[in-house]
Amino acid sequence: MAGQGNSSSSDKKSKEVMNDVSTFRAENLQNNMKVVYYSRTFLSIIGGAISGILGLTGCMGFILYFIVMAITSIGLIAKAKFSLHSYFDCWNRIILDGFLGGLMSFVLFWTYPFL
Amino acid sequence: MAEDLVLDTAIRDWVLIPLSVVMVLIGVLRYFVSKLMRSFQVPDLKIVKEGQVIVRARNLRGAANFIPPKSFRSRRVYFSNEENGLLFVPKGQAQNAQAQMFSDPNMAMDMMKKNLSMIIPQTLTFAWVNFFFSGFVAAKIPFPLTQRFRSMLQNGIDLSTVDVSYVSSRSWYFLNLFGLRGLFSLILGEENAMDDTQRMMQMGGFGFDPSKSLSAEKDGLDIVQHDWALPKFEHRAEAVLKKLVS
Repeated sequence: MAGQGNSSSSDKKSKEVMNDVSTFRAENLQNNMKVVYYSRTFLSIIGGAISGILGLTGCMGFILYFIVMAITSIGLIAKAKFSLHSYFDCWNRIILDGFLGGLMSFVLFWTYPFL
Repeated sequence: MAEDLVLDTAIRDWVLIPLSVVMVLIGVLRYFVSKLMRSFQVPDLKIVKEGQVIVRARNLRGAANFIPPKSFRSRRVYFSNEENGLLFVPKGQAQNAQAQMFSDPNMAMDMMKKNLSMIIPQTLTFAWVNFFFSGFVAAKIPFPLTQRFRSMLQNGIDLSTVDVSYVSSRSWYFLNLFGLRGLFSLILGEENAMDDTQRMMQMGGFGFDPSKSLSAEKDGLDIVQHDWALPKFEHRAEAVLKKLVS
């Protein structure tokens, strides 16, 4: 979980957001989103293993998935030092993106300990 | 569906775990095979030139608000005027380039290789699973599903009283197929991360028709509303300095 996307231009950005001038570099933004995707996938695998080992069944496992994803979002926001707009262009990028992508991995690694 | 079924541990040892291991290994193998088969094409000079022009025009469009109006206008004319602008494509030439791209056999070969390296292992694994491991309950998934999933998850079992959370080996195969995608993107890096459909779209947009992307970039550049950002910065700096002084 390396969150160092674009620290070079982050200091400038915070003030320019107010002027509605977009100063995002597409490559850096893409890199940040890739980091978000990796950390979500990793945590969904870990979360699946945890819920399998705890022996959760049914709805409890999905609730654990939501909790894990919420923790991931909070962790990513903390990694961005709570100034989200210097790394991403909108909140959805960090909160919603890739939310359902990790679900299949979660289910697979949830099933493994039950075998 | 009253009491729990007891699944034989031999099923776990000889069906489920080998299946997962095989699918992981096939994924890794496919990654390396497609890496080996990737042919290196000598890039055509004209195509590289056009690509660089597009990148420059895109940079101009992105940073348009940071240069004065006059310089933006002169740059735009340099890129998109109708006589000798860099982004202007004469009509006859465009058609020619497109036809040439389509007749290039290397491109088609590359696409076919990529598709085959995707399809062949999947069909083989699916046939293998169907042939050896069909007809018995293989695993129990930890969440309940509705009756509607029965035909999908339990084909080959034909017992209407078994709970739907007991699944056959075929659905274990599908679970692995979709669930391991995330794992592959973690262990193999970014090249495996994107979906095949995404890759197809990228190829269609990027590799095929440079003249079309040139004219699209020209249109994009033509409709940019220029709005110089520097005066706003001055206002803001003034406000900040006033706050500091007072």
